[in-house]
Order: sequence, then C-alpha cells, then structure tokens
Amino acid sequence: MKKNVIKIFTLFMFFSFSSLYASGPAADAFSHEASTKKVETYQTQSFSEMIDGFINSTGVKAFMSPNLDELSSHGEKMSDFHKSWGRIIMILIAFLLFYLAIAKGFEPLLLLPIGFGGLLANIPVAGIAGPDGFLGIMYEMGLANQFFPILIFMGVGAMTDFGPLLSNPKTALLGGAAQFGIFGTLVGAVALAQYTSIFDFTLQQASAISIIGGADGPTSIFIASKLAPELLGAIAVASYSYMAMVPIIQPPIMKALTTDAERRIKMSTLRHVSRLEKLVFPIMVLVLAILVLPDATPLIGAFMFGNFLKESGVVDRLSDTMQNALINIVTIFLGLAVGSKLAADQFLVADTLAILALGVVAFSAGTAAGVIMAKIMNLFPGNKINPLIGSAGVSAVPMAARVSNKVGMEYDRSNMLLMHAMGPNVAGVIGSAVAAGILISLFS
Amino acid sequence: METNLVVEGLKFMGLGMGAVFLFLIVLIFLMGMMSKIVHKFFPEVQPSAGSSSSSAQNNQKKVVAAITAAIKFHRES
Repeated sequence: MKKNVIKIFTLFMFFSFSSLYASGPAADAFSHEASTKKVETYQTQSFSEMIDGFINSTGVKAFMSPNLDELSSHGEKMSDFHKSWGRIIMILIAFLLFYLAIAKGFEPLLLLPIGFGGLLANIPVAGIAGPDGFLGIMYEMGLANQFFPILIFMGVGAMTDFGPLLSNPKTALLGGAAQFGIFGTLVGAVALAQYTSIFDFTLQQASAISIIGGADGPTSIFIASKLAPELLGAIAVASYSYMAMVPIIQPPIMKALTTDAERRIKMSTLRHVSRLEKLVFPIMVLVLAILVLPDATPLIGAFMFGNFLKESGVVDRLSDTMQNALINIVTIFLGLAVGSKLAADQFLVADTLAILALGVVAFSAGTAAGVIMAKIMNLFPGNKINPLIGSAGVSAVPMAARVSNKVGMEYDRSNMLLMHAMGPNVAGVIGSAVAAGILISLFS
Repeated sequence: METNLVVEGLKFMGLGMGAVFLFLIVLIFLMGMMSKIVHKFFPEVQPSAGSSSSSAQNNQKKVVAAITAAIKFHRES
C-alpha cells in the first residue's frame, strides 16, 4: 500500500517536471513573438524558488495578504478589505444562498446559479468575473446588452395563458395598481438620497432599485443593467429573494387591509375564451405598445412573440423549446452572469442594505396598492371582486396568484380564487413591462 | 439651483402610474371590443360538446336498461 503511494507520487513528480521542462522553451519562444514591449524570458529557477512562487500564488496567501496592485473586474482599485475579508464574507453569502435555495426552496432555479456565480466571482487571482474570465464573458455576452432578460421574457410569454384576463378584463386594473410599488419606492429611494447623507442615489439608480417592486425578475435585470449596472448584483438578488418570499410577505398585508366579509366574496365563474381571442390578444397588446410606448416594445415584443407562438397552435416545437430548453439554458447563463456582479467590491457597500430594505418596501407597497384598488373597484356597481386577488397584481407569476388562492381558502374552503387571480397576475407582467418602458423613455 | 430629487420622483410617479393605467384601461376596452367582434363574426363551433353529452345520455339509458333487465332476470329466477 505504502509502496504504491510512493510509486504514484514519484511518477506524478516525474511527469510534472518533465512537462514543465518541455513547455519551458516553447513558452519562451511564444513570449518573444507575442510581446514586443516586455520581453520576458523563462529563467531557470531553483526548486526552493519554485516553491516560494507557488506559495505566493495560493489562495490562502491572496486572502491573507492581498496583492496591492490587484484590480477589480472593472479595472478599479479595491480596498484591502474587499480583497480579503470582503471576499470571504461574499463566499459565505453564496453559501447562504445555496442554503436558501436547497433547504428552503427559495427560487432555486435562479438562486443556485447566482450563488455559484457569486462564489466564483470572489475567487482571488483567477479573475473569473474579469473581462477574460468566463463569467465576465457571459456578462458581456448577454447582460450588459440586456439580451438574456429578453430571451427569458420570450419563454415566460410562451408559458403564459391570458385566458383568465380575457374573460374578466377589468381585473387588469389590479395589475396596474400594483405598479405603485415601483413608483412609490422610487420616491422613497430619492427621498433617502435627498435627506440622508449615507446614501447617494441618482434618479437612474433609484429607478433601477424601485423596479424590484414590479416583482418581475427579468424586468428588474433588464432595467438595472440599462440604468445602473453597478447595482445589478444587489438588485437581482433582492428581486429574486423577495419573489421567493412572496408567500411570507404578502398574506399579512392582505389580511390587514381586508375585512372578513370581503375575504369570503365569491366571484362569478370565468366565461369560456375562444382560441381566436387568445390568438389576437398578443398582437393587440403589441400594437398598443407600438402606438403608446415604443420603449417598452423590446420586453412586450419578446413576451408577445412567445405567447403568439404558443396560441397559434401550429408551432408546438418552437413554443416547447422556448418554454423548456431555451429558458433553461438562458437561466443558467443569466444566473451566472448576475452572480459575477456579486464581487465583494460591488456588493459589500452600504447601498446594498438600502436596496434590500427598499425592495421589501416596494413589494409591500405593490401588494397593498393592488388590494386597495380591488376595494375601490367594489365601490362601483357590477360584479364584486374579492380583494385578495388584488395582491396578485404584482407580477411574480404564478406565485402571487397561488398566495391569493391559499389565503382565500383559509376563510372559505370552497372559494377557489386561483384562476381569478391569474388575471391580475398576467396583467401585472404587462404593467411592469410598461412601467419599465416609461422609466427607459424618461432617461433616453 | 439644486434640483429637488423628491419632486422629480413625484413627477416620475405621476407620469408612470398615469401611463400604466392609461395603457391598461385602453387595453380593457380593446379586449371588450375584440371579444365582441370575435363572438359576433367568428363564433366558436363546439360540435363535440353536443354529441358527447347525447352519447352520454344514450349510454346511461343503456345502463339503466341493462340493470332493469338484470333485476328482472334475478327476480324471475
């Protein structure tokens, strides 16, 4: 046993040395040709020098006494804290995201890639999130130009059924009201910037943060990478973690704003929606967006493209690919690219705390606005609306609708609100895409 | 003069909420019109529903007949 180990070890040493010597001259010749400015020739080193060099290149050394000249992935100087303890804290945060995703089931599809991307981005020396690292390449490939969120929107469109909205159109107003979460938080964020000296958000940054209130992951990433790429990591993490926490955040607000009688309101059954209506709807929304708000058409266009293919019924292969293969592949890339923004120098700043706090405010405000809007609509004659479905106006499809259904069932076992809540839910997606388009148009 | 960010934010809110509601209200009207037009000019034919229910009724009649026959046979024997 012992002999074998020694044998393998010596064999290994032999190979590693021989390959080192073999590659020496070749590398030498290459560097002569490639760099004319700095001629670096390989010099033979004694074994102790090699060990020294190796120790200097280890991660332990990089964490303990960071290289003074090391630059962040943006080519900026980093503080010593961000290079040493900051990275360790970020790696622990990545572990926390793994825990939340695996043990608690919080949006594992996104939090796992984001968390792992964050782990990789905080490795010293390797520079995985830098311009030449694979995370950096993914970021440049699809996040810096907002390509990935658009692709995700296509897939979401192919998964969406507008039937419930078409059969009860006025519930779209609930999806509009919930967008108050976005704009209310925008005011909150700029107020923080105006009246405190710690935070200094520009209007662009405030807008990017407030879009968390739309409860729509791809939209938040789309806006953040357009208006405030430096806050992208924190915004994406806040957005997806709060979306996962919808079942915890929403019910108390919904219960506080409604009376027992309102929660027991039964809604009339949804009428049948013909196939032609479903087929015309995506085109109609897109035409409306073209006429009213062309800035929103990248998002709405991709969304409606996916939906149109699904409803057409003749390209099941394409719609199936968008719903499964495409969205899965893009989710991997998107998650890792967002994770690359979890580098310590960008995440461990005071702004992140403000973003996490404002995110909760945004979600709560959107939920409350949806519920209140439903109560206002009940003041008018016509079919009564159960205010519990108002909370589904924040997008978060289909989680928010499920929450409405669950809370409704708590008070009346026979009251099925799920399909009624899907109406405001999908209207919320359109609403937040419109809100995003408005924010973009204001800054262009 | 330094711009007051909060006032800017409130302006954004007014415009934003206004535009979102405008978009959705127009959409609600369009949806209503569209479904009226579709129902008027392209009513969805549902032949399968009618035939399936009548065949179900036939089935039930057959079952009833079979049961009565079985009962009769049982009593007679």
